[in-house]
Amino acid sequence: MSEQVHNRLAMVRAERKVSRQSLAEAVGAHYQTIGYIERGQYNPSLDLALKISKFFGLPVEALFSLEPFRPLTDEVYGRNQP
Amino acid sequence: MTTTRLTRYDRAMLRLMNDRRGQAWHATAARRRLAVALHITLTVALGGLMTHLFLAESEPLWTIPVMAVLLLPWMVATGVINGATRGLLELRAHVLDERQSAERSHVLARAHRVTTLLLLAAAAALLITGGLAGDAPKAYAAPLLIAVLVVHWVMPLWVAGLRAQDEPAEDDVLEAAALGR
Repeated sequence: MSEQVHNRLAMVRAERKVSRQSLAEAVGAHYQTIGYIERGQYNPSLDLALKISKFFGLPVEALFSLEPFRPLTDEVYGRNQP
Repeated sequence: MTTTRLTRYDRAMLRLMNDRRGQAWHATAARRRLAVALHITLTVALGGLMTHLFLAESEPLWTIPVMAVLLLPWMVATGVINGATRGLLELRAHVLDERQSAERSHVLARAHRVTTLLLLAAAAALLITGGLAGDAPKAYAAPLLIAVLVVHWVMPLWVAGLRAQDEPAEDDVLEAAALGR
């Protein structure tokens, strides 16, 4: 039940210049919930995760993962993991 | 949240419970614990005075102005705890989002467990005193019932206040860090 779901929400939200409040309003959540998801203190339901992904126009696996995300620079520049 | 249409009352309560003007009062865990401790102290004091007023043979009317004075900080402390929880227990269920609904269920379940233990302790105390002094249960039943009722009523608020978490970091700080500004 307490499985950690990793996410890139803070990074994507900052990149798209979307405030927590506006994202929260768009997906029908409280702005604190968005903050807790970003801090890893709350795992969203599938419904909420899909709504957030839809809002950003990204596949859900681009935002949420059961495995820790690799740093974006590593993914972009192809550095192998140590 | 917001899957159902919000009424004017819902929107007003939502605004009130999310008013950030009093945020400094409950910004840290220490301040929230202080607010809960103050609320417990004032509740005990008010409950004690009310019980004394209604059950004492001498009709101590001096308790009324004292209660009126204590009621104001009690209401402030209630407001601080409600602010800290963003109205977790005050807003109607359809106004809460999935995390808040789960948190409310968790708070109510924990408050129920604590209240059950307190009731058990109260019943045991009443039975033990009844065994030692025959008329004790009759004498203490009414104040104990009032105390249990009050505790049952406010326990979820205390639990919610103690479980409330710090506000996530401010948006602009996070964005500036992420964008390298």
